[in-house]
Amino acid sequence: MATKTARVETITGSSHMPDDTEAAAGSGEPGASPRRVRIPVASVRADAPQFQIAAKNPRRAEIVAGSGFLMAAVGFAGFGAAYWQNYSNFWLAITFSVGFGGLGYGMVIWGKYLMPRGPFSESRHSLAPTQAQREVFIEDFASRGKVAVERRGFLVKALGLASGILGVVLAFPFIRSLGPLPGKTLRQTAWRRGSYLVDITGRRIKTGDLEVGGFTTVFPPDDIGGAYSQTMLIRVDTPPASGYLTPPPQFAKQRATWAPQGYIAFSKVCTHAGCPVGLYQELTKKMLCPCHQSLFDVTDAAIPIFGPAPRPLPQLPLYIDDDGYFRAQDGYDEPVGPGYWERGND
Amino acid sequence: MIDALFTWFDERLGISGSGRKMLNKIFPDHWSFLIGEVALYSFIVLLGTGVFLTLYFVPSSKVVIYEGTYAPLRGQPVSEAFASTLNLSFAVRDGLLMRQMHHWAANIFVGSIVVHMLRIFFTGAFRKPRELNWIVGSTLLILAIFNGFLGYSLPDDLVSGTGIRISFSIVESIPLIGSYAAFFLFGGNFPGNSIVPRFYILHVLVLPAIMVALIGAHLGMLVRQKHTQFPGRGHTPRNVVGSPLWPTFIAKTTGFMFLTVAVTGILSALFQINPVWLYGPYVPYKVSYAVQPDWYMGWLDGALRIMPSWEIVGFGHMIPNVFFPAILLPGITFGVLQMWPFIEARLTGDHAEHQILDRPRDRPKRTAFGAAVFSFYFVLLGASATDVLANYLSISLNVVLTSFRFLAIAVPLIVFPVTYRICKEMQSVPTAGQRKRANIVLRSAVGGYTTVRADQRPGDAVPRVDPLPLDEDVEFVPAMAGIPVVSDDSPAQSRPEEPAPDTSDRPRGGIFRIPRDYR
Amino acid sequence: MTASHATWRRALLSLALLVSASFVGVFLLGGGRAEVYPSGNSTEVDATSLTSQDSPAAANQLAGGRTLFVENCSTCHGIDASGGDRAPPLLGVGGATVDLWLSSGWMPLAEPTAEPERKPAKFDRAQVLEIVRYVTSLAPALPGDPGVPSGLDISHANVAEGFSMFALNCAPCHTITGAGDALAGGIQAPPLHGVTKTMVWEAIRTGPGNMPRFGPGTISPAQVVDIVGYVVKDIQRPVSPGGLSLGGVGPVAEGFVGLFVGVGLCLLAALWVGDRAETEEDGEHDGHDGPEGPDGDEDGEGGDDHRELAHA
Repeated sequence: MATKTARVETITGSSHMPDDTEAAAGSGEPGASPRRVRIPVASVRADAPQFQIAAKNPRRAEIVAGSGFLMAAVGFAGFGAAYWQNYSNFWLAITFSVGFGGLGYGMVIWGKYLMPRGPFSESRHSLAPTQAQREVFIEDFASRGKVAVERRGFLVKALGLASGILGVVLAFPFIRSLGPLPGKTLRQTAWRRGSYLVDITGRRIKTGDLEVGGFTTVFPPDDIGGAYSQTMLIRVDTPPASGYLTPPPQFAKQRATWAPQGYIAFSKVCTHAGCPVGLYQELTKKMLCPCHQSLFDVTDAAIPIFGPAPRPLPQLPLYIDDDGYFRAQDGYDEPVGPGYWERGND
Repeated sequence: MIDALFTWFDERLGISGSGRKMLNKIFPDHWSFLIGEVALYSFIVLLGTGVFLTLYFVPSSKVVIYEGTYAPLRGQPVSEAFASTLNLSFAVRDGLLMRQMHHWAANIFVGSIVVHMLRIFFTGAFRKPRELNWIVGSTLLILAIFNGFLGYSLPDDLVSGTGIRISFSIVESIPLIGSYAAFFLFGGNFPGNSIVPRFYILHVLVLPAIMVALIGAHLGMLVRQKHTQFPGRGHTPRNVVGSPLWPTFIAKTTGFMFLTVAVTGILSALFQINPVWLYGPYVPYKVSYAVQPDWYMGWLDGALRIMPSWEIVGFGHMIPNVFFPAILLPGITFGVLQMWPFIEARLTGDHAEHQILDRPRDRPKRTAFGAAVFSFYFVLLGASATDVLANYLSISLNVVLTSFRFLAIAVPLIVFPVTYRICKEMQSVPTAGQRKRANIVLRSAVGGYTTVRADQRPGDAVPRVDPLPLDEDVEFVPAMAGIPVVSDDSPAQSRPEEPAPDTSDRPRGGIFRIPRDYR
Repeated sequence: MTASHATWRRALLSLALLVSASFVGVFLLGGGRAEVYPSGNSTEVDATSLTSQDSPAAANQLAGGRTLFVENCSTCHGIDASGGDRAPPLLGVGGATVDLWLSSGWMPLAEPTAEPERKPAKFDRAQVLEIVRYVTSLAPALPGDPGVPSGLDISHANVAEGFSMFALNCAPCHTITGAGDALAGGIQAPPLHGVTKTMVWEAIRTGPGNMPRFGPGTISPAQVVDIVGYVVKDIQRPVSPGGLSLGGVGPVAEGFVGLFVGVGLCLLAALWVGDRAETEEDGEHDGHDGPEGPDGDEDGEGGDDHRELAHA
């Protein structure tokens, strides 16, 4: 304890040292209160240039600043009138700006030309305490803590347990309950075997509805307008003799019958960031994503040929039923839309 | 009366003591110290106009039939958020003005934060002891960008809805937790019905509250640590030179606040911003071309666009393409930004306190590095307009996109050495950057030519007046105009470290006098 | 004061005048947006006459169309419109296509090797219809040919339905404001300003160039009229109560204005506000030991007052 007292004394003794500003001037009598410790102001002449205002002709500056305020008055009055008369946004905004502009102009002129132009300075001291001050603080903190906390290990553990449980429990209302788990929703869409292709009004699409070189956005009947089941149905061409558009070699077998009578359907959800790929360039037979300009080749299984999209658009297998309506042979055979961690290779 | 009121408060709160010191707080006289104030004042505009908007905006995704005055949407199903935004724009008096001012102020807010930060960076104001304030400031930048995005999304229009769709994909792309985080944030799979109310409460309460607190901390640290200052006559590490808070700076800064408000108002008068009625309500299967986020998110959009089509797949998992430009890039950007003071201290080994600012040319490496990094983000920002540029310049979109991929790498590599060289050159020219006085060539009647120097203009020369120390000892006491100032006749005693003040030959009679003593 | 000061002040004054003049000018331009893009043909000739192709009076028109075709089109498309090395055959393309390509100015090309681009139509409405009549008389129309719309009436178009269909089918390329944009590979979706209602109708039905073709199976006749109505009434005359529409390209232009005008004006104001007011006594005339002193006075507002005050 003795050492500690001694140290405190040292601190007390040195506590004047950071306050050395005025003391450096040598005028502060010991014992005077800090507020009274100041150097005489004799060194500053009353007519020092710093105290002069910048305007040589204050009257004139006053008129200029005042006219700014008058302009503000006119502007604000105009704003009131414009509001009352329900004028257009332009008049409301312009009167408002004239008001604030005038106010600002006047205030700045006032501050800049009618107040002491300086420059003045204030002194600055390092905020860092001395090493001794720091040590005392740490010593105090640690020794009190030793008494209060360290011997009460049980309390500390119990407190930790309670707050730990609180933290875990809070995670449920503030995180877990915010939304459902993804489950399978990212993997499958509303497209099923036999789903009709309907447009946004619910009308079933049949052969001959689209012109050659036309497209329309289709949905399954139970998810009209769905963000993930939106699909582009494109009539690319008049079909070859086989009746089906020929898929690229790597899909020759799998997708041989997916595009009957020159119609082909791709997911409208971009595999990059999920935007609707609604731009169909008819002559070049490419689909372009409006958000980040990924370009998909419709005649080549919608493989991205340009831009950031990493994967082709999934293709919806189509067939035409006996009544001439388009239907899905099955749902998409891979997740539509952008990638995510669990997606893997499928 | 006022006296009594003040005394009442003063006796209970003790204002006079610390308040007196506050009156003398010095603010440097340099325009670049006002850039941060642009941010502060546009934030105030944001708060004011934002409160107005909340009175009329309905944060709900519930679908209603629009019955307002805008004919092309009448009878259409729209969300309540969208309908109330249209109502705000067309039916509420002042509503459009407030909406436009809010949006323009947001653009100015983030823009001025960036410019402010550039000033801090290039002059080295972030060095010890101000690292903490740099971190607070850069956190504010992140929050400002994020909150701007949330606000931009609230009207639930076609353009911003597309942005939300992209942001869902971005959250989804985070490894391990991505799809869960996206589902929790959006209340289920996209689009869901929770986006607007959740974004709303974040936008109007949670983030603004955090930002107000951080701005308070930012300014509190500024007052406690005092301003940095540029090197100059009478400027030392132990003082701050400029104008005192009361009355000069208060007048100027209040005026400046009004001017900032006026600029926001002028923009709102002249330029229409975010006309959501032209965009229509967001529907997941509809889209418009030429969709971009607001500019402060533009660099992310640009990064998404120019990213090559890479994706990491393996072991049954996937790191999607968007992760790299939209999660990794901003993560590194903001991480390095936040940690920059420590990174630089480590690189230079300079751990000393700095109160005097660097001139950018005196730190060529830092300046060149900063310029190169900034140019990189500027290229990314440009890349977010690839389609618009291709359209206006009539160049192939593919060419524009490929060029931006190239520029994003090439421009920083060029900017760095060029900036470094310029800095080195400027170092060798002491008067570089100073304004030169004009010479006027006169032609006489007989045809001879003489050269005279032009009249001096403000800013031509360097102030000759030394700063007057304004600590405890010097008082401002405004005197009545016309009353002669009492001359001080006590023995002159110069302060040791201050040069004797310049006694000019101007006539006496300033409107301030200094008392001999102060009690 | 001295001559140079007067000059300086005069320069500032004229600058201020210039700024305010451009301000007013910009406003007039903004208000006159509808005039910049005049919509609708000045001479909207009713195309109903086309339906009566076999009337004897049509023989004259057929001859007129033939003359125009031979003079302007046959070099590339062949004298019998059967196509050539650098141009497709026109037999059976349908009247709407011919009408659209001629009235949009895409055809005839400026040079035989040029790309089609929007320019003022070379022929007036009557001449275009004469050529249409001539070309369609050469071969029977293919199935699905929409023909030139006759008496297209958009006065009862449901613009709300049109807007909805526009957002679904047109906005992905032409943008939601109809400003147009660049597609991949140098292809452009043209702006929809300054096109006539007939052209919009014909473009939807025929799908010129890379534009997809929307037949009655995807967009019903009534819906086409709705879309045309929305384009002509609203896209071409957008409701812009908030000021200049900045080209309708959204945040790109807005960000540009916000940064360079908004932040720029604030910084100019800061330049003026932030610097200490100086008087001549402050400065010595040589600029040594220069601090980062006030380095500019390109203040946005009230610049000349500033100087006058300091020098008065």
